[in-house]
Amino acid sequence: MIICIILIPLLAGILVPVLPFRKRSHKEIFLEGAVILNSILVWYLLLHHSESTFLLAHFTGDLNISFRVDGMSMVFAGLVSGLWPFATLYAFEYMTKEEHENTFFLFYTMTYGITLGIALAANLLTMYFFYELLTLVTVPLVMHTLTREAILASRKYLYYSLGGAAFAFIGLIMVIVYGTTTDFILGGVLDPGKIGDKNNILLLIYVMAFMGFGVKAAVCPFNSWLPQAGVAPTPVTALLHAVAVVKSGAFAIIRLTYYSFGTEFLYGTWAQTTVIIVVMFTIVYGCSRALKETHIKRRLAYSTISNLSYILFGAVIMTPLGLTGALTHLVFHAVMKISSFFCAGAIMHQTDKRYVHELNGLGYKMPCVFGIFTVSSLALMGVPGLAGFISKWNLAGAAVNSRNSLAYAGIACLLLSALLTAIYMLSIVVRAFFPGKDFDDGPIQNVHDPNWKMLLPLFVFTVFIIIFGLHSQPIVDFFYDVATGVY
Amino acid sequence: MDFVCNFPFFSILLSLFSGTICSILPGRAAKVVNRIVIAAVGVMSGILLVYLLGTGESFVYWMGHFPAPWGNEIRAGVLEAGMALFFCIIMYLSMAGGAHKLFDEVEESKHNLYYILINLLLSSLLALVYTNDMFTAYVFVEINTISACGLIMIRQVGRTIEAAVRYMIMSLLGSGLLLFGLCIMYDLTGHLLMSNIKESVSVLIQTGEYQIPLIVSVALMCVGLCIKSALFPFHAWLPDAYGYSTVSSAAILSSLVSKGYIFLLIKIIYRVIGFDIFNNTRIIDVLFVFGLMGMIFGSLSAIKENDIRRMIAFSSVAQIGYIYMGFGMGTQAGMVASIFHILSHAATKSLLFIAAIGLTEVSGGSRKFIDLTGAGYRNKWAGVAFTAGSLSMVGVPLFSGFISKLLFAQAAVQVEGKMLAALIVLGISTVLNAIYFMKTVIRIYAVTGDTSYPCITFKDMKVHAVVLVLFVIVNILLGVSSQPVVNMIEQGLAMFA
Amino acid sequence: MYLILLPILFPILAGVCLLVCRKDLSRKLLTVTTGTCLVITGALAITALTRVKQDFTLFYLTRTLPVYFHIDQISILFSLLTVIVFLCAGFFSFAYMKHEQKEKRYYGYYLMAFGVLNGLCFAGNLITFYLFFELLTLSSFPLVLHTGSKEAIMAGLKYLFYSLCGAYASLFGIYFLCQNCDTLTFTAGGVLQVSAASKDGSFFLFLAFMMILGFGVKAGMFPMHAWLPTAHPAAPAPASATLSAVIVKAGVLALIRVIYYIFGADFIRGTWVQTTWLALALVTVFMGSMLAYREPVLKKRLAYSTVSQLSYILFGLAVMNEEAFTGSLLHVLAHGFIKGTLFLTAGAIIYTTGKTKVDELRGIGKEMPLTMWCYTIVSLGLIGIPPTGGFVSKWYLAIGGLAGDIGIFRYLGPAILLVSALLTAGYLLPLTIRGFFPGTDYDYQTLQKREPCPLMTIPILFMTILSVLIGLFPTVIVDTLTDFVSTLI
Repeated sequence: MIICIILIPLLAGILVPVLPFRKRSHKEIFLEGAVILNSILVWYLLLHHSESTFLLAHFTGDLNISFRVDGMSMVFAGLVSGLWPFATLYAFEYMTKEEHENTFFLFYTMTYGITLGIALAANLLTMYFFYELLTLVTVPLVMHTLTREAILASRKYLYYSLGGAAFAFIGLIMVIVYGTTTDFILGGVLDPGKIGDKNNILLLIYVMAFMGFGVKAAVCPFNSWLPQAGVAPTPVTALLHAVAVVKSGAFAIIRLTYYSFGTEFLYGTWAQTTVIIVVMFTIVYGCSRALKETHIKRRLAYSTISNLSYILFGAVIMTPLGLTGALTHLVFHAVMKISSFFCAGAIMHQTDKRYVHELNGLGYKMPCVFGIFTVSSLALMGVPGLAGFISKWNLAGAAVNSRNSLAYAGIACLLLSALLTAIYMLSIVVRAFFPGKDFDDGPIQNVHDPNWKMLLPLFVFTVFIIIFGLHSQPIVDFFYDVATGVY
Repeated sequence: MDFVCNFPFFSILLSLFSGTICSILPGRAAKVVNRIVIAAVGVMSGILLVYLLGTGESFVYWMGHFPAPWGNEIRAGVLEAGMALFFCIIMYLSMAGGAHKLFDEVEESKHNLYYILINLLLSSLLALVYTNDMFTAYVFVEINTISACGLIMIRQVGRTIEAAVRYMIMSLLGSGLLLFGLCIMYDLTGHLLMSNIKESVSVLIQTGEYQIPLIVSVALMCVGLCIKSALFPFHAWLPDAYGYSTVSSAAILSSLVSKGYIFLLIKIIYRVIGFDIFNNTRIIDVLFVFGLMGMIFGSLSAIKENDIRRMIAFSSVAQIGYIYMGFGMGTQAGMVASIFHILSHAATKSLLFIAAIGLTEVSGGSRKFIDLTGAGYRNKWAGVAFTAGSLSMVGVPLFSGFISKLLFAQAAVQVEGKMLAALIVLGISTVLNAIYFMKTVIRIYAVTGDTSYPCITFKDMKVHAVVLVLFVIVNILLGVSSQPVVNMIEQGLAMFA
Repeated sequence: MYLILLPILFPILAGVCLLVCRKDLSRKLLTVTTGTCLVITGALAITALTRVKQDFTLFYLTRTLPVYFHIDQISILFSLLTVIVFLCAGFFSFAYMKHEQKEKRYYGYYLMAFGVLNGLCFAGNLITFYLFFELLTLSSFPLVLHTGSKEAIMAGLKYLFYSLCGAYASLFGIYFLCQNCDTLTFTAGGVLQVSAASKDGSFFLFLAFMMILGFGVKAGMFPMHAWLPTAHPAAPAPASATLSAVIVKAGVLALIRVIYYIFGADFIRGTWVQTTWLALALVTVFMGSMLAYREPVLKKRLAYSTVSQLSYILFGLAVMNEEAFTGSLLHVLAHGFIKGTLFLTAGAIIYTTGKTKVDELRGIGKEMPLTMWCYTIVSLGLIGIPPTGGFVSKWYLAIGGLAGDIGIFRYLGPAILLVSALLTAGYLLPLTIRGFFPGTDYDYQTLQKREPCPLMTIPILFMTILSVLIGLFPTVIVDTLTDFVSTLI
């Protein structure tokens, strides 16, 4: 079963260029069907999961490729499988204006399977394996337009990701050698007997591995690939570079911190201090860069950088509450950011405008898109009643609860970043809705909202932003259970 | 003694004599003979390997039934047989993959000469693998050098002659040092047979006599072989030699010849000096440091390179650095990792060379990156194969490179003082590898406005494509089911002692 | 029970409907609709104030964060002020907005702001309060940038970002408070856990200070006052009136809630936080007056005046005794009506004459006598001349200041208040003087009566009367306040 849900998207992806579709709509139905089917299977699996581990293959020694559903996998797999059908639907419409559609859908759909592989991996090696594969299948998507810009971006993406993985790999080795097993066990698997007096080296390796996985999570100073990768088509930027890929990085760090090294080992050490500082810096750095950026998608990408570090901030507090906050933001941010990216994509698709200063007055021409954009902006800012407030609340609550004075400073960073978020998001909204007195809407007379394939995902995400904002308790409780190891 | 035990001897002789036969055959026939010989040797090595795995112990074969110290001995264990088999596979594939290029690169009349050299090379490699006698080893080292030199030069372009001269000088320097070391060793022990020397050496160590000459001798032999296998900083000859020779030669030279020397070094370490004694000298620290430096500087040079063949050649410098780093750890695990890397690198590097030729073919024969733009679309098979090879080099799971990286890292963790340095350099080197290989991969999949170059389909390159696929399969096999191979290496090393 | 939601949700929904509605309504229909909505909301609010006696928890945002409403005297006070000012300014704008574009948008946000303010007044705990505080910023900044000129848009953004900055500074405190208080429900005397207060006392003082600064942004307290003089003049006059009379009071309300209902006056009293707060308030009082005195543009002058007057209120809050607190509450009302009137008269003047600078308005009293009389009366009130509202409130403030246990500020405070009152006279009365006594060289021939339409004058008149009434019958209010003020102090 677990193998199925990883293989179905891979197969479906490979079949796209192979099968002779007579009409485009047939291809759409085929892909959407496969993706929805897979999502249903994923949810079925998550809801009826068993504790047992599914062993796919022995790798070498006692290392093996195996899968298991635990709390963290439920969160991430659930998130990904929830978003993918909508993103695919959106992509159909978006890709009408782009070339090489088949290649795009080939890799786009394959990425789904790989991401699920990361989510469901039962041990560090399996996760690492899928993590590398994720890099590989997403590179063609970044390269998609084959412009010089895209080539440079994908090159950078590859260097960064593979390089990061190389350092994460060292962490993997440490866990193999000093751990009792590579399986993910909440609380860590390090064997104190084996560690002996090598504490400091292990901590150093942890920091290295953190930064290694952090490359995907766009931790400063390894974040510059993300804004550049924005040259990819918007469905990619939205789903992969705001959710699947970058969150895989965050997910991997959580796995590494909570399930392999173990918080008990790391809590209160200099390693924790280091990573908190890095994360705090990234939070502020991402926002301030977003502020300076005028390209919409790149601005959102910088915003992603900052928000990813929110997640990591929660994670490196290293308490169950911190993890709860991290997971909350992992899920909520996914919905908010994908929504705002899809809006940006819709704008680009309908008007070919890419820069913030070109958006004057579009709010009245595309009310749905900009309305939704406003909601997601407000949510990202953390206005109460929307999803962002809850996740920030949980993160800050965890920080307060940790009684770690550095975490207090982290709260200040969160809020500073919230302010900056307000500035860079709302300045777009204000431009769109309040173009100024002398604004002439002649050039944008024919602009209108996109069709249902684009709007439906947007509406669904907006509804979720509001639902999460108003009634988050059940899901947050679930996250807390995950963080304390109930699942 | 079973009949199978004759196989090592047979295979050496077979390849040696087939070389001579080739000299009177026309090119086409020489090619057939050559292929058959390689295949036959491969089959024999395979059978031998199965046999040895069955018996579980190595055997010594007296050539002409003269016992030591007069006779010449051959010794075969699991590792030797496995190595011979592997060399044959790689060589066969490399030859097949580069065959269609041969007509462009080498004059028709010299074809049989080419196959002579290949056969000689094979025989010397086999001899290096199997021999139990230091002097025989030295002789075949020289034969190896000469045939390799010929292989480089046969293309007869200005650059290759220079490269061959360079190679010759460095190689002779290396073998000279080896010879010095050998002489001193003979002085100290009075033996040339490996097992005999080892006994004497352990006696010497116990009595504490002649410590310095002993170390000097070991050091000389090490340096000699290091030069020959292009360990940083003795790699100056390598890029030209690999970069400008014919494609098969490049593949064979990079993946087999230098590995033959390294294998000889392993034999010396285990069978002549003794693993523990060797590890107690400072030599391993030197090897470790130069290995690390090779990993970094080789990759840096590769990044700067603008020519795909030379880039791959420089990458070899880095990979050889990995191997020596494994030696330098001075543990069994490090050695296993190194030997595994010999295999994985051989499989990958020849794949890269063969794939690169496919790419340059569709780019007007140019090897500059700028012309290679979009080559991956023009020659799909070569493009995919090159990508696979690159990924393996970078150490992506599923490919053989990942396993060697894994083994190296695991080995490194067990060595107290060298752990951090090894791990960090391993990480950095992976990043550097990623930079130049991925740069190339993206380059060949980028689109150019220039469509003047032809596209090649499967029909035009059947053999080439099949070879590439086989290479990729070998790579993936090593990557996915590495455990049997690792077990075999461990078993072989155990037999060495 | 659900009655409490109506004055909040009804105008918000009405506003949203107006905004979303794509059809261009005729001006008449729009005016009638908006007017009806305003009146209904006012009626609903008053009904809620008088009828609802119970607390009401709408739902739980998270387990520890209920959205909770509760009506107490403070709510009643602020809510009444809101309703009156919004109704008056609303009717005023029906006339005024003729010369602005996009009226529908204006009314939409106006109604939303109304509803949000009601919610703010009724909020029963800190989270609910914060929720409406943010919403208030978001719904009111479109009013500021309504005219769409470049300056207006920049002013709107400035207002937005200053306010958010303040809100986030306060949120910093809220994060900590929610884990160190048993509940975030507003409770007279504070809810901070004793253990937390004793253990991390200095840290919580710091938090209190952060929240004072944060919420102080909305109340235009130095050093974060800069948005106020930019935003008020940029907005249409009725919007400035509501901004100045009510919306900035949200900052005051916030400070009352946080200091008296969450931290508790006892926790702050006598600490460096109180001292700094007093100092900041007094600096703002003086600085605001000085800047107003030097300002030639009428609406900007009024805006600076708001800065100064709001800090009177903050000073009263910071003194933390009954008299000063009563004075503050009275001044909230008095200043609300007075400043509302002042901005509306300024609007009326701009509407009829198009002139914005004080110097240009010679003889305006002859042209618009009713408007200018109202202006003069409320100006006197703001200066603090009996029997207007300003006198009573300042009286209480001064007494409170003198009676307070606040060191040097005991004398410094009332002195600065007095100086500032003089300055107030200095910046408000010139218009009266020029208006009514244009000088001998004034050309009486061209004079024409230009009194604006009743839609403008009636609200002005109404609020003027109210401001006088407060001064005449302060005891009605003071008596109702005394009881519960004593529970707070």
